[in-house]
This record gives sequence, C-alpha cells and structure tokens, in this order.
Amino acid sequence: MGELMARCALRDAQAFAQLYRHTSGKLYAVALRILRREDWAEEVLQESFVNIWNHVGEYTAQKSAPMTWMTAIVRNRALDWLRRPNLEHGSEDYDLLLDAVPDPAPGLDAALQGRREARALADCLDVLSADQRQCITLAYVHGLSHGELAQHLQEPLGTVKTWIRRGLGKLKGCLERSNAT
Amino acid sequence: MKYPSDELREALAAEYALGTLQGRARRRFEHTLKHDPALRRHVAAWQARLDPLNDAVAPVAPPARVWHAIQRRIHPRTARRGLGAVWDSLGFWRGAAAASLAAAVILAAGLGSLSPEPTSMMVAVMTDDAAQPRLTVSWDSDERGDKRMRIRVLGHAEMAPDTAWELWMLPGGNRKPVSLGLITTHETQNLVLPRTVSTQVNAAWGLAMSVEPKGGSPTGLPTGPVLYKGQSTAI
Repeated sequence: MGELMARCALRDAQAFAQLYRHTSGKLYAVALRILRREDWAEEVLQESFVNIWNHVGEYTAQKSAPMTWMTAIVRNRALDWLRRPNLEHGSEDYDLLLDAVPDPAPGLDAALQGRREARALADCLDVLSADQRQCITLAYVHGLSHGELAQHLQEPLGTVKTWIRRGLGKLKGCLERSNAT
Repeated sequence: MKYPSDELREALAAEYALGTLQGRARRRFEHTLKHDPALRRHVAAWQARLDPLNDAVAPVAPPARVWHAIQRRIHPRTARRGLGAVWDSLGFWRGAAAASLAAAVILAAGLGSLSPEPTSMMVAVMTDDAAQPRLTVSWDSDERGDKRMRIRVLGHAEMAPDTAWELWMLPGGNRKPVSLGLITTHETQNLVLPRTVSTQVNAAWGLAMSVEPKGGSPTGLPTGPVLYKGQSTAI
C-alpha cells in the first residue's frame, strides 16, 4: 500500500485507481457508520479521495500507516459534514437514527482479536469502566458528539465529558504499558 | 493559538482523534495543527491507538458513480466543463486565504484560453507572509519532453537593484530545495526546467521564491529571504 501511495504522489493515475479499489470499501463503510445516510457517505467518500489525491505527496512526511492516514481523512470529512451548521436533516429523523445506534461493545471484542495493536486496544478497553468504554467506542465508531452521547445514554453532559476524558487518559497509560512489554 | 499546557495539548489531540472536539474548539485546533508538528505527532499517535476500532467494520462497496465523480474532479481532461470544473477541483484551496481563490480563478481563466486541448495541469499559487497571492505557476503534468512553467506575477512587483529572484522546488519532507532558475518581474513569463528536475516537480510539495545576489544563489541553496511560497496541486 505504501508503494501505491508513492506512485500516487508521482501522479500515477493507475496506482490511484488501484488504491481506490483496495480501500474504498472499508472507507465507505467507515463514512457510512458515522453518517448513516448513503448519499452523504458517497459525497464524503468522493471529497476524501480527491483530498487524498491532492495531498498524497505530503503523506511520506507523516509517521502513520497508509490506511490510518486515509481513515483519518474520511473520518474528519464525515464529522465536518455531520456538524455543518446548515445540515438539512430534520432533527427528529436524526434522533430516530440515534436511537437505532447499537451498543458497539458485543461484536467489537471478537473483531479486535486480529492484529497485535487490536488485541492491545481490546485489552486496554477492558480496563476502562463500562461507561467510559461505551462513550469512547460510540464516539469513535458512530461519530457521536458529547451532547448526542449524553442524550443517548440519558446522562448529564458533564458526566459524559468526564468519562471520556478519564477514559482516554487511562487508555493511553494502558497502551503505553502494553507497548513497553 | 498556543495551548498553555502539555496536558491540555494531549487531551485535545485525543478528543480530536476521537471526534468529540467540535465547533470553534475544533477549528482552532486544526488551525494550530498546521503550524505545530509536535501536536500533529500527538494526533497521529492517537489516530494509531484508536485505529483498530475500524477493524470491526465490514467493507461496503460504494456505487460506481463515486469513482466516476472522483475521476471527473481529478482529471479535468476526461470531463471538462469549462471554469466550473476547474473551480471544483480547486476546492482544496477553500481552507486557504480567500485571496488565493481569486488568484486561482485568474489562473484558471488564463489556462482555459492558453490550451485548446488541455492535459492534466499542475498549479502553485505562491503567497507572501500575509497570505496574499503574488505568483502563480502552472505546468503540464505530462512527464514526457521538456517541461515549461508558465509564471504569472500578480500585481506590481519590484526587484531590488543587484538582486535576482530565484525559483525553487520544495521536494517536501526534509529534502533540500532544488533551484529551477531565475525569474523576472514581468507579468507573464515562461521558464524551461532543467531535465534533471522536470521529472520530480509534479511530486514536489510546492515552490518557493527567494531573493538572491545577481546571477543567482552562489551556494545552490536559497541564501536570501524567501518572499513567496505555495503548495502545488493537480487540477
């Protein structure tokens, strides 16, 4: 994948097409999970790949895996899209969608048994309290904001913010310890 | 914007990567990120930590129209719709100074009339310290043959006596600038690139212009102040 990125930086259109074939399914799914609407996810995917093509030359300077870099672009675009001020969704529709958001925890454990980093993250998520874990996974996986989390979990906003802040702190400590061993 | 403590920087990087940093705080953070490599490393570290959460997502094939739309945006040759298409593909400048957009339009208008059969183009809008566009540079991204850059000096430009303006390619990363040659203050001019650099310039981060002694930099690297610089992109 790194080689494909390098060829894209050299404006190799075939390499870009190959990169799209390899990654668009995953990236579309990531966008879809956050946006929950196919038309929005298509827009965001399109914007993201144009962005990837335009900025792939900067990628080499970064210290992240190609897929992590591309996923971050898609996630940021999706979050920006979701929170643009004039978003024309009826708020009721969105609340309904929100109610349909499943708790990601059950299936997650199994999915996180693959690569080493994933197992480390799964182990460290287990160290968190159930509330902290739920907030962090819902925020990341479905793009929920502090306010949406508070609404979804029927907890005060301040409580949710504290769970997230403390949970992230604990997560980092745990992952650093597991990296050191 | 400077954040007062390391603890706050770390916490903001984490919430940015998580996606819970929002509104003004998020925009301010993104602005700071542009000029703060250490903060970018914090964010990259958090993105890597949380990334395995995406392992749980099963891929979904997007409809073919998404790829077609991307193609139209990045290869204006295959679906060119006049200025509109060029404007669209310049969308990545939206985040930059609005003034750059004006320059991009001037440039795009120029391109339309210059090239009856357009190939894929690269452009760089070079700005001064105040983010005002001062030079636009464009060239065919076609790798074959001699590469000729079209340079446009925007507004009134003056060169101090006994100095020269030297154009540099900035390869990106830690690699050193490479000289592309001397330019003048003429409103429109062409610069034929040395063959050694013409194959690299498409992939470079962008261009810069420095003030050098008459005849150009004696060392092969910029010695005087860099007046203008800009990132290049394909349109």
